[in-house]
Amino acid sequence: MLKNYFNIAIAVLKRRKFFTFISLFVISFTLTILMVLTAFIDKVVNDNYPDKKRDRLLYINSMEERGENAMNGGSLSFYFLTHYAGSLKTPVKVAISSAYSGTNTYINNKKIAVNYKYTNDAYWEVLDYDFLEGKAFNRQQIANGEHVAVISEDLKKEYFGNVSSVVGQYIEADNVKYRVSGVVKNVPITNYMMYSDIYLPYTVSKSDYNENKTYRGGYIGILMAASKEDVPKMHEEYEQMISRLPMSSKEFNRIYSHADTFISGYVRTGNEEKSGVTIALTAIGIFVLLVMLLPTLNLVNINVTRIMERSSEIGVRKAFGASSQTLVYQFIVENLLLTLMGGLISIILSLTILYFINSAGFIANLTLSLNFTVLSISLLTCLVFGLLSGVYPAWRMSRLNVVTALKAS
Amino acid sequence: MFNHLLRLMWNKKKQNFLLMTEMFISFLVLFAVFTLMVYNYNNYKKSMGFEYENVWVVNYNNNMNSNNTDSVLLFYETLRQTVKSLPKVKDISFTSENVPFSSNSIQVGTEYNKKQLSHINLLRVEDSYKNVLQLKILEGRWFNRQDIAPKHKPFVINQTLKEELFGNENAIGKLIGGDSKSEVIGVVEDMKIKGDYISAGRAMYERIDTGSYRWLGRMLVSVTPDADIAFEGKLYKTITNIMKNGNIEIEHLANKRKESNYFALVPMIVLLIVAGFLIINVALGLFGVLWYNINRRRGEIGLRRAIGATGNSVSGQLVAEALILASFAIIAGTFFAVQFPLLNVFDLPRGVYLTAIILAVFFIYLLVLICSLYPGKQAAAIYPAIALHEE
Repeated sequence: MLKNYFNIAIAVLKRRKFFTFISLFVISFTLTILMVLTAFIDKVVNDNYPDKKRDRLLYINSMEERGENAMNGGSLSFYFLTHYAGSLKTPVKVAISSAYSGTNTYINNKKIAVNYKYTNDAYWEVLDYDFLEGKAFNRQQIANGEHVAVISEDLKKEYFGNVSSVVGQYIEADNVKYRVSGVVKNVPITNYMMYSDIYLPYTVSKSDYNENKTYRGGYIGILMAASKEDVPKMHEEYEQMISRLPMSSKEFNRIYSHADTFISGYVRTGNEEKSGVTIALTAIGIFVLLVMLLPTLNLVNINVTRIMERSSEIGVRKAFGASSQTLVYQFIVENLLLTLMGGLISIILSLTILYFINSAGFIANLTLSLNFTVLSISLLTCLVFGLLSGVYPAWRMSRLNVVTALKAS
Repeated sequence: MFNHLLRLMWNKKKQNFLLMTEMFISFLVLFAVFTLMVYNYNNYKKSMGFEYENVWVVNYNNNMNSNNTDSVLLFYETLRQTVKSLPKVKDISFTSENVPFSSNSIQVGTEYNKKQLSHINLLRVEDSYKNVLQLKILEGRWFNRQDIAPKHKPFVINQTLKEELFGNENAIGKLIGGDSKSEVIGVVEDMKIKGDYISAGRAMYERIDTGSYRWLGRMLVSVTPDADIAFEGKLYKTITNIMKNGNIEIEHLANKRKESNYFALVPMIVLLIVAGFLIINVALGLFGVLWYNINRRRGEIGLRRAIGATGNSVSGQLVAEALILASFAIIAGTFFAVQFPLLNVFDLPRGVYLTAIILAVFFIYLLVLICSLYPGKQAAAIYPAIALHEE
């Protein structure tokens, strides 16, 4: 039976080539837009380099103190992360790093803009950076305040040129010479919590990381639990610790700070009343609705027109006893078939567009790709799209009166 | 004629309703896109208000151990003199972190005559700021040495803020603010500090007092056009040698401008591509449906031709039908669109919304006209004999 529908569908598609073209164009472009969007979100949300143990991690990005007329917020101090977050019992390790900031280095009459980040030794154990050569600096080196650095692949290329190994060589940044201890694979800037060009021990930081005894400073932290099961406990423990924290000043009466999972930490806006996830989802939802609503309406329009053309066929089938259900079923199958064809075209289109985006390098180190997740989400959107645009026309078709349908021709 | 057409359309209300909904949503999409474009273009047209070529920004975070204001001042004075004495440096000025084209903002509120305004960019500046960025003074004067210990704290405001606070009155000498009054001493031309495409907004300038130097983090340096990378390296070395405990980064305002424009343009380009695709989509659909309808109405059209209707009147009828449909969609769309200026959503000037509505109306009519002209022409070419023969 399905094979029959399939043959009919192909015959119908061939009959009015212009309409088939319009339908395929509409479907494939809509799906392409959605697929590129999915690929982008998937890259940002699901790419777990360098935090491969993401399901065991909680991220602490900011703290906000609020009072009647005062508000103060931002990233945390090294002191807070070692003394308060560091004294929690559930986390086995606390990675501490400064938020990345920029400096320059000048070599051979060339200026290189460098982003640097100070880290502790746990940082390299909590996160799994891919070392292309060398290794991270260890606890001893940090304690000694050695001038050692881990640099990114890009910086290596830019600073040293195309040489095979740079471990042990010196790189100058911020007017200080650092010995290269390792080279890691690039992290895209969209992963702003872990992105940097050069990673340095916190002890060589020029700011007095130890003397700042307030809560706020330039650092962020990542808590690692012993296992996945401990994460809720760790979250709970952190919230409790925050609720017991004394206010830093009389103007304030509330302190907010959260140990978040990657996604909710990533989109945290600093607005405590509204969750960042809700805002991000609403924005994406509106965009998807907009992108899908018009093409769907358009397809419904075209489909309604197309079935009217087939009113005689429908009339005859109904006269010979086909139920409305069968007809609706047939039409939806035809429509899904068309959508899937559009889906195939859209995969080709998306690959082309992604290739273009990647090679143009709009965002450094961000390589978008179609993977299994993206493809399955796309397939799902195809099905939803096909159903959305097929159901109403099919319903109208099935309600056609036999007499009118036959008379019209 | 008009009533007649309406009745014809009413008879096919279901199909027409779908078409109308499609046009209605297209109208809203176009309205949104045009609003954004008109707004960006309006901002782009205005002058930048300051000079960004050959101005560099030095970002520093100086970790000074001293709590003594005098020694801090002495330190920055030494830094200033050393940098100023470099050959290619024209002038320098310390300022707060909201330098042009940065993402940092410092915003405050003020009031005058019980009129309260918020979201005013506060720029902390020195006397030399005006020369470094070559600001244009429209009224009054810029800060100078007289302002060290005034009775009221002096402020320079920008044109937008002046117009919103005082309208056409003279602003100079007026006292603004709540309990602690400050005096307006000058009005400068708007500076588009967030980039070419973003409006300047309200701004006021405050003279840095001696106690707040330790909290600053930016230095603007205007250089001669021949200052190159080698010189930049030298400047960098000079500053790091003085600021031993600091992290330093030098950026060029011209590059920062490109960057901030990029961030304003990319979303707009993506939106334009998506909207463009949606419109092509709608146009094709509309075209297809109209074209198909004509094929279904061959008998009717043939008969009209047979009893003497000209080709033009036949195609005119089809085009008019499509345009009436579009008018309904536009009326419904405009009803929603005018809510934006009426309720003052998003705080944009009304003119922007109105221009966008006019453009969207025009564009929808154009689209429908183009999509219905060809089917209309085809209809006009129907020969009565052939059309009626099929019947």
